[in-house]
Amino acid sequence: ATSGVFSAVGAPSNMQGSSSGRAGVMTDVHRRFLQLLMTHGVLEEWEVRRLQNHCYKVHDCNATVDKLEDFINNINSVLESLYIEIKKGITEDDGRPIYALVNLATTSVSKMATDFAESELDLFRKALELIIDSETGFASSTNILNLVDQLKGKKMRKKEAEQVLQKFVQSKWLIEKEGEFTLHGRAILEMEQFIRETYPDTVKICNICHSLLIQGQSCETCGIRMHLPCVAKYFQSASEPRCPHCNDYWPHEIPEVFNPEKEREAGGSKSSRKSLRTRQH
Amino acid sequence: MSEQSKDLSDPNLAAEALNSQMHDSPGVPAGVPPPPESPAATLGGPSTAPVGPTASPQAAPPPEERFEDIDPKILQQAAEEGRAHQPQSPPQPLPAPPAPAQLVQKAHELMWYVLVKDQKRMILWFPDMVKDVMGSYKKWCRSILRRTSLILARVFGLHLRLTNLHTMEFALVKALSPEDLDRVALNNRMPMTGLLLMILSLIYVKGRGARESAVWNVLRILGLRPWKKHSTFGDVRKLITEEFVQQNYLKYQRVPHVEPPEYEFFWGSRARREITKMQIMEFLARVFRKDPQAWPSRYREALEEARALREANPAAHCPRSSVSDD
Repeated sequence: ATSGVFSAVGAPSNMQGSSSGRAGVMTDVHRRFLQLLMTHGVLEEWEVRRLQNHCYKVHDCNATVDKLEDFINNINSVLESLYIEIKKGITEDDGRPIYALVNLATTSVSKMATDFAESELDLFRKALELIIDSETGFASSTNILNLVDQLKGKKMRKKEAEQVLQKFVQSKWLIEKEGEFTLHGRAILEMEQFIRETYPDTVKICNICHSLLIQGQSCETCGIRMHLPCVAKYFQSASEPRCPHCNDYWPHEIPEVFNPEKEREAGGSKSSRKSLRTRQH
Repeated sequence: MSEQSKDLSDPNLAAEALNSQMHDSPGVPAGVPPPPESPAATLGGPSTAPVGPTASPQAAPPPEERFEDIDPKILQQAAEEGRAHQPQSPPQPLPAPPAPAQLVQKAHELMWYVLVKDQKRMILWFPDMVKDVMGSYKKWCRSILRRTSLILARVFGLHLRLTNLHTMEFALVKALSPEDLDRVALNNRMPMTGLLLMILSLIYVKGRGARESAVWNVLRILGLRPWKKHSTFGDVRKLITEEFVQQNYLKYQRVPHVEPPEYEFFWGSRARREITKMQIMEFLARVFRKDPQAWPSRYREALEEARALREANPAAHCPRSSVSDD
């Protein structure tokens, strides 16, 4: 995949690393950063910056804080040989940058195997398939729960399955909106490769960034799809938005480009910037 | 003081024991939590024996055992038990040793496994590690575990510690400061074992000396008795009343004006020099899975001491403050 919506920050093999000029040096600042990033699972960019500042304060009060990108590249150069990476992505619905420590080595749902029982993993797999197959990127709770009888492992009742789905939401694997489920940005970060390999025929790709697409807008004429943040960027200054593929008029509302500054002014609450409904196919 | 502990299936009995002692309840500790639920819960043997006020069949050392101190046979046994419930063919011929690269890969897998489990606040259980990660490489579990520990320390600043030999539980703990690490490495005779830490924390939380009877109540829950020899500690009574005292980690004194004679423990001068109150708070936080601020006055004391130490050592590294964690 080219540099897309979901890509590593910089290139892992870039050995320029920290501002000190040496590559791959881990200090207690970096270690604490890693510890806390791992604890939180996934963080938004402003939280990551705050975390970085916190780690500097705790361990190395006097040093200048590295530029975030350099800081992360430095850590990633050390993590490379361990097949893990701090990955940066963008949420599909409103283009917020997010970061997570992901394992590149395993490429299956068993990534989550440490957390969940066999039947729960299978439920996730079923939900995942429904989400990928769907037009909107959302799978209804009803449709998922109807598959409960087909699950491997210990028999699960619908009531239990509802709770398991909530567990997935809390663990940031799924997002729920009005009784429907889609993939959390974190799940996309971790599982993109696996999903593309496992569902090559049904998986959707963004025409702009060429990354995995779960939610987005599509052209009604030729069917190409784009992530909402990609739409926002692509049509930012276009007076008349037109499909990049077939040039037909682009019929959907163009969302705003995510602006972290505006976010802070609005008090940082997500609900204050009501993001566009995503079902616009 | 400490309100009810979180309802985790945490077999760390030191928590219950310390809890009851701190409330000065005579004798019987609060209900003992059962061993952790897991798919492998049907193991025969010590892990499932009811652990309670009655002595468990096998003496269990307290938390903070260093991994290197553990008898390798015990780990091997646990690894065997971890496989017991799997559909297994009869003992196979000795497999060829794997390539180093494969062991390294297993160490990386184990590293991630441990990180995710810890992230989810799930129990790190050795038989699970063997079953879920090491698989057919279980014979090399020690070397895999060692390598994983090294990576976690070097890259994440975390220590993978065996916290309960009896239940084969591990925990990921924040690493010691560099000075402490050097000290521990250089001075192997330093008995920074959970045994000493437990007694010291008991004394610290009480805010005064701990009667010998109270100390034994705590140790008894872990299967340590004054008259029983222990596989690692030997004669425990001699260890805590003589050796630790000779090394100045503890003071063991007669309680004045009490008949029949009773004795109590205090912190020794060496403990006061080498162990910070903050370390005790961190130990308590780990054992109880609580914030250190659950013991507000003790925590304040620990903060005071930390500040005094910082002021006395302005040239030193800014101290790692575990309380400012997000």
